[in-house]
Amino acid sequence: MKVKVIGVPVQDQEKALEFYTSKLGFIKKVDVPLDKDSRWLTVVSKEEQDGAEVLLEPSPNHFKPAKEYQKALFEAGIPYTQFNVDNVQQEYERLISLGVEFSVKPTEMGTVKIAVFNDTCGNNIQIVEMR
Amino acid sequence: MTFYQREIIRIRSICYSNKGQIETVIGTRHYINNNFDKELNLNLLSHIRFTSKFHLLRLFKKYYGLTPKQYLTNKRIEKAKEFLKKGVRVTETCFATGFESPSSFSTLFKHREGLTPIEFQKRATFTKSV
Repeated sequence: MKVKVIGVPVQDQEKALEFYTSKLGFIKKVDVPLDKDSRWLTVVSKEEQDGAEVLLEPSPNHFKPAKEYQKALFEAGIPYTQFNVDNVQQEYERLISLGVEFSVKPTEMGTVKIAVFNDTCGNNIQIVEMR
Repeated sequence: MTFYQREIIRIRSICYSNKGQIETVIGTRHYINNNFDKELNLNLLSHIRFTSKFHLLRLFKKYYGLTPKQYLTNKRIEKAKEFLKKGVRVTETCFATGFESPSSFSTLFKHREGLTPIEFQKRATFTKSV
């Protein structure tokens, strides 16, 4: 078995694609039309294009428990998932300049530094730097 | 303050209150990052941080979840992949990343990546050219 895809629930796939590519800097990898308003849509890190794909899945629109779970996590401030960066402070400043909102500013947690932002698609996402 | 923000503060006070220990393991990790191509062992690493080797081993494992040796191997494999992708020959990659011999490098690489270094390089070059 191999880890190839991790899912992130999004409320609007087109908006998510825009955010994950133009703000976060990911690259679209696979885009397969499925049902009328659903796609199998994945993005990858620009630096690791053969790495794991992030599946932007429209589950909150099709499965009520997914919507409720996403909402509960969001309201508690809990990140849905996390991505690694070389420098959290620099990434924080870059994203702030693009209008991204953070619920946790760069914070040292022992051997890591973290920050948490709103992906505008219903999720908190954490960025992490190994110290 | 959100639930998550409260948890950050709570967990930090439980797990990360010992600044001295954290500085020791971070310093060790940085030393490994900057010297992965050289011969490294626990004696040397503990000497640099003025700790006993068993204490350092225990601390590193406690904070990073793996031993310095495991961390070093991960770092060497990661660097080897970068070199191979750039087209550096296997033998050169082996020594540039601190492995002792091409055969032990190839065996470990295959075990970790599922491909030998040569196969990995061929595939990386092919992917780039397509």
